[in-house]
Amino acid sequence: MTDPILWFLGRGTGVVLLALFTATTVLGVLSTRRGFHPLWPRFVTQELHRALSGVSVVVLLGHVASAVVDEYVDIRWWQAILPFGATYKPLYLSLGALALDLLAIVVLTSIARGRLTERTWRVVHRAAYASWAVSVVHGVGMGTDVVSSWFVWLTVTCVALVTVATLARVVAAVLDRRHAVVAR
Amino acid sequence: MSRVRHDGVALAVDWPACRARGLCAELLPEQISLDEWGYPVVHGPVPPALRDHAVGAVRACPHRALRVVAPPPT
Amino acid sequence: MTATIPGPAARAPVAGSADWVPTPVTDLFVHEGPLLLRHLGEPVDLAHHQARRGPLPTPDLAALVTLVTDAAVRGRGGAGFPLARKLTTAARGRRRPVVVVNAAEGEPDSCKDSALLRTAPHLVLDGAAVVARALGAGEVHVVTGADRTDTTRAARAAVAERDDRSVRWSHRVAPPRFVSGQARAVVELLEGRDGLPVTAWQPEAVSGLRGRPTLLSNTETFAHVAVLVRGGADAYASFGTVDEPGTTLLTVSRRLPAAGLPTDAGVGTDGGVVADGGPEARVVEVAHGTPFVDVLHPAELAGPVLLGGYHGTWVEGDVLADLPVSAGELRRRGLALGAGVVLPLGPDACPVRATAAVTTFLAGESAGRCGPCVNGLPALADAVRRLAEGEDTRPRLRELCGLLPSRGACAHPDGTTRLVRTLLEHLGRRVHAHLDGSCPRVSGVGGAR
Repeated sequence: MTDPILWFLGRGTGVVLLALFTATTVLGVLSTRRGFHPLWPRFVTQELHRALSGVSVVVLLGHVASAVVDEYVDIRWWQAILPFGATYKPLYLSLGALALDLLAIVVLTSIARGRLTERTWRVVHRAAYASWAVSVVHGVGMGTDVVSSWFVWLTVTCVALVTVATLARVVAAVLDRRHAVVAR
Repeated sequence: MSRVRHDGVALAVDWPACRARGLCAELLPEQISLDEWGYPVVHGPVPPALRDHAVGAVRACPHRALRVVAPPPT
Repeated sequence: MTATIPGPAARAPVAGSADWVPTPVTDLFVHEGPLLLRHLGEPVDLAHHQARRGPLPTPDLAALVTLVTDAAVRGRGGAGFPLARKLTTAARGRRRPVVVVNAAEGEPDSCKDSALLRTAPHLVLDGAAVVARALGAGEVHVVTGADRTDTTRAARAAVAERDDRSVRWSHRVAPPRFVSGQARAVVELLEGRDGLPVTAWQPEAVSGLRGRPTLLSNTETFAHVAVLVRGGADAYASFGTVDEPGTTLLTVSRRLPAAGLPTDAGVGTDGGVVADGGPEARVVEVAHGTPFVDVLHPAELAGPVLLGGYHGTWVEGDVLADLPVSAGELRRRGLALGAGVVLPLGPDACPVRATAAVTTFLAGESAGRCGPCVNGLPALADAVRRLAEGEDTRPRLRELCGLLPSRGACAHPDGTTRLVRTLLEHLGRRVHAHLDGSCPRVSGVGGAR
């Protein structure tokens, strides 16, 4: 199939995923925030994070499917999972596969959380940061809209959001440790 | 042996795991309030009507510090 | 700590309470008793022990359960759990049980476990061997406290001497913390982690060390088992009462901060009054039901008494005098015998100050794992200190006493709030007098004797 709709679908889902993954990541980073607003209780951050991550996975499957099914570029199924051996934009495609692999580990460990210790789950979950970062680079490298200003702005905004959220969390954690009342 | 179905459930906190995030109190304010340091105070067993909310609160805890247990015998 | 110059209207701050930390007992006297503390002064090695006490019977589980049920043996670690129930629970498990002798004795003034291990170690280990054999357990772990060096040495030596068939003995040293003697903390230590409490969703007897049914009991409990299997329930029941046969060990310690016990009326080694104040702590074996007036010196009953150790209950000496040494009877009156630690305070000493010093110490002994304890106990101690300085913090104290219990992985907050609650409830008049300014104060308050 070489229907152009597949091409648009592949690119479109990619852009949507950038926004979705960024939103999911930001919500996850901010889930430890102490403060909350009556209109935005803490559980909303958490539930939204979980819901968006689910939506992201579904869109990701669509993204992979449309890229593979489209015969305009030669992308095979296994190249979505194994980060080597691709012929079309090998570096950036493999980064996409890597991001998917990392995300798969994060999602699977969250589903099977009951069988893991809290500590294990927490350590593995941090791979989400790596998955997000790698997926951004994948998007920049793969994207055919990369020179369009709207895409540049979108990418810059997403990176800024995650960076700011992460910094805020790190600063809060450092300040918390100063006033630590619970020894770990 | 006839099996008596516990209509109500009780909630128990795994205290070393709890980090006073407070999601449980948001989702089950009828049964859980927060003390002055943000740690949950569970007020008795959960009536059957609130059972689903209790399960939701258990699922929401980011540190899995809340558990549903059999209610203590009256 | 900043110094304040007390003016005529100002009260002096509670000197030393922020700095006071109990040190290990160095001046201990152990009195001869009828069942456990016998043959004091004689060699304690295995050969002499066996020659004195005779061969050790090894009843099967059913016989042992019957024996300890008839003798109503309860744990001596403070919780008073029926041993028979613990035995049957541990035996019910599918996996091979493990036996643990808890001699960690984290309560600084408690010396009975140390006394047993130093004067009759093989009596304790006999009891553990009997339990292990009845349960089919292959390993017995003995845990002592790091700050009790003589006890640790005695335990290690005794363990090395054992020759019980099919039982593997091991000895571990627990860090010198107040909470080290908590059951789960001991199991954690044996599993190679920090000896600190964790949440237990099942009792140790169901799932303890490495998931196996673990019969963890206090040193003294095992000693009672050893006496029972040799002498039988009838001989055991010739002491004590119908409901509580046998004897129990008490540690009477005069080391409460600002205890203010008159130095010219201590209990001497022969039980009589001596001029130099006597030993700072003594271990006695008393039959259940003995009234406290027969156990304590009149000077020790002239003022309030902290019964049950730092997690215990305050009681007026004149009330305690007529009460029996009986966990059940005391419980009915809202008092706790705990692990048998009795801390008298002189009539001229201030229980509020003593409580302030003890709660400050206990707050510092939190394992630091549970929010309500880590936050609540320092707040409680602060409120008691302010009470000692003359501020009426009773509403705040009552609030905290209602807020902290049952909200932790162990009973540290429960015990500490019990100390404060009974100060307010049982010594209410003294607290009132303290706030009024009419509390008698001993000079040279705080610090070491």
